[in-house]
Amino acid sequence: MGLHWRGGSGAAVVVALIVSACSTTTSSQPPASAAPATPGASTSEAPSSPAASTIPQGGTLSIAWASDIQYFDPAKGYDVVSWPAERMMFETLVTYDSGTKLVPLLADGMPTISADGKTYTFKLHTGVKFVKPDGTVAGDMTSADVVDSINRVLDPKLKPSPSPVAGGFFGNIVGAADVLSGKATTASGIKAIDPSTVEFDLVNADATFLNVMATPFAAIVPKGTAHDASVVATAPTGTGPYTLKSYTKGQQATFVANKSYWQAGQPYLDELDFKVGVDDNAAIQQIEAGTLDLMGDTIPSGSFTQITTDPQYADQVVHHTLVDTDYLFMDASQPNKGPLSNVKVRQAIEYAIDKDNIIKLVHGAGVKADCIFPPDMPGYDPTCTPYSFDPAKAKQMLADAGFPNGFKSTLYTDTTDPDPAIAQALQQDLANVGITVNVVTEEFSTFLDRIETPHKAPLGWVGWFQDYPDPSDFIDPILSCATAVQGGANASWYCNKDVDALAAAAKGETDSTKRIAEYQDIQKKIMADAPWVPVRHQEWFTLVGKRVGGFSIHPVWQYDLRNLWVKPGS
Amino acid sequence: MTVDVQALRVDHEVAFERGRPRFWRVLRRNPAFWIGAVGVIVIIALAIFAPLVAPYDPDHQFRREGLNSHGDPVGPNAMFALGTDHLGRDYLSRLLFGARTSLTVGIGANLLATMIGVTVGAVAAFAGTPRIVLRRRGGKATRIAIPVESILMRITDAVLSFPALLLAIALVAVLGPSLPLVIIVIASVLWTGIARIVYGRVVVIRETEFILAARAVGVHEARILARHVMPHLLSIIVVYATLGIASTVLFEATLSFLGVGVPPPAASWGGMIFEHIGYYKSDPRVVILPGIAIMATILSFNLLGDALADAFDPHSWR
Repeated sequence: MGLHWRGGSGAAVVVALIVSACSTTTSSQPPASAAPATPGASTSEAPSSPAASTIPQGGTLSIAWASDIQYFDPAKGYDVVSWPAERMMFETLVTYDSGTKLVPLLADGMPTISADGKTYTFKLHTGVKFVKPDGTVAGDMTSADVVDSINRVLDPKLKPSPSPVAGGFFGNIVGAADVLSGKATTASGIKAIDPSTVEFDLVNADATFLNVMATPFAAIVPKGTAHDASVVATAPTGTGPYTLKSYTKGQQATFVANKSYWQAGQPYLDELDFKVGVDDNAAIQQIEAGTLDLMGDTIPSGSFTQITTDPQYADQVVHHTLVDTDYLFMDASQPNKGPLSNVKVRQAIEYAIDKDNIIKLVHGAGVKADCIFPPDMPGYDPTCTPYSFDPAKAKQMLADAGFPNGFKSTLYTDTTDPDPAIAQALQQDLANVGITVNVVTEEFSTFLDRIETPHKAPLGWVGWFQDYPDPSDFIDPILSCATAVQGGANASWYCNKDVDALAAAAKGETDSTKRIAEYQDIQKKIMADAPWVPVRHQEWFTLVGKRVGGFSIHPVWQYDLRNLWVKPGS
Repeated sequence: MTVDVQALRVDHEVAFERGRPRFWRVLRRNPAFWIGAVGVIVIIALAIFAPLVAPYDPDHQFRREGLNSHGDPVGPNAMFALGTDHLGRDYLSRLLFGARTSLTVGIGANLLATMIGVTVGAVAAFAGTPRIVLRRRGGKATRIAIPVESILMRITDAVLSFPALLLAIALVAVLGPSLPLVIIVIASVLWTGIARIVYGRVVVIRETEFILAARAVGVHEARILARHVMPHLLSIIVVYATLGIASTVLFEATLSFLGVGVPPPAASWGGMIFEHIGYYKSDPRVVILPGIAIMATILSFNLLGDALADAFDPHSWR
């Protein structure tokens, strides 16, 4: 799934390959884990899946999540429950195939790109219909809808707050800056050439523009959609294969097949239920009992060893190393010259964390993280190991920084297993070097609000999944000055103008080898500033019900729920 | 004073009669009392002496010895008598220190709740609807009736009608979890029960002749309340407070189980169950042990409370 915040319900995901193949993705970097990558296989459906024409139609499946859906508005949702929910109802101009190759979806063919890389022209697919939740058609999609959709994401007055990536993802469009600052309501660089042609003009050439256009943030909503996520939630209207039949907060979102869907033969299911607020342990039990088909969360700690080692579940346990980094963030701009605003203190903390212990606590479900980019992400650099576990050195550095007796602080995380346990392990690591922290665990949405509000969390434990397979996705949305704002995802409030400039340059670099080298250099510079302690790249384990067909892990979406069908005879 | 002593003699619920400890005679014949009392003393002693009794620091994570190769807790062995928890901490030590949390909250919150409840109930019943006379300079006197009784008891009803657990969770969520807050939160929702009981008793007592007599000889209202009414409430307060500790311990466990109790890493029995609920199939020990601790504590206080109630009851004096 797109990546974005891990936590809450972790993402669902699954891996494509049942059990054995654990790596995947078609990206160029080899995974760190031992098993050889089997691209293709990993991203395709299970070997037994029938050809598209014979996919059984109808039936109902259910998936459980611990956290609720935060937003039904594609401009706002940025977590592992909202994205799958949005992708049921909304679509983008381009998307990914079963791997990481970009393919057209609402666009009729891939866009034409000008020689300077600054102008993208999309032809729109004709006959695409917006459908309301009650199943009635709200009209055909035209270029005006596309223009309106992207301007809407840029709107600084979007309620209840601006899109978390407005500037980070779309700020490079000509005129976007004026919309972001409230000087204009439409960006001059987004143009409807004719009813079925849209042109985007960029300030700088950007290799990731199409990746951005494939994220749910760039989903096409009908022109005139309210600039208010709570209004969208009452009647989400998109072009997707399912519509939201009903939603009871804290309980269930019921998605039913869109009978007017523009692609023949889809969707496969009559209904897909998102059951929210379901505890992981309850979900596991229900899958074992056959009353639930999928879980959005990973297998919880308590039953992890039991289930993953039980031969009975051998073909139902699916796992995969995510393109994710879980980290301890530190408020690098802590107000009032707080200790964490001192780079030496942050570097000391880098040496204080026993990462191997945390991997052990999660039953080995992960790869130790030393830097920002995860394996499978272009730019991953196994030689990037700036800090090692060395509490004595950490203590010495703290003393040198003027904190021989440490200091007190607070470490926040969410209540989803195993995060509270990991937070307590971090607490002991910090205590070992003299830093006393209170651990506060909060429900995922409360926690997200906190870390996206300036300086309300000096320390915290969180994870980031990729939004798209490009290293810029681990810099621009979470470590750039533009996102160190209210509602932004830069939990460290890290802002280094030099890094911003390098990142802008790297983004426009067209030579992919040079580009990756530039990102590796940026990664080293950020790690020297130590806004995070990267701890692990999570390996995802989940249990899949026996009735589920079409289940595979997708390197970007993790769970691509649109592909699910019910196995005949079940 | 004479009036006072006479009144005590008349009231048949007086606990101790000079020279004839009928209360104690009944109590000591009751096996439930002995079981409850011994249980309570043992638990309190373990809580007080936890630092001496516990083999390890309850918060220390034994990262090598305390977790097996799968990263799961280890069962009882030579090093850890009751095994470890999911972070490799000694379970026996955590159970012992958990007793401190449970009893601190249980006794603290209950004392607080009893104090609030008794005060509110007794004042409401005894004050009734006093009239205040306001006299303007040179003007007429105005009499204002202040319905203290109604106000206090309606507040009690309002708090009582609110779901206690929801109120507690909301308060903790807003103010952030901490041990003192958990005590205050629990007390703030549990005082209503005893307020109502005390109110009911005082309403009866205030109409008795000895109170009338005390008033007749000019004893101040506050003194009547403290010296002549309160002794009659002793029995119900003792019984209710003892039984209340049991429900408070459970309430704390519930809050901790819901993740809004005493913050980590402090050990709390409810929190220990909460942390390990996923292990109930693979390693039931980590769930059952704190469960047994909660059960034993509640049972002890309940047995003791019931025995005290029986002993205070004149019908059991024979």
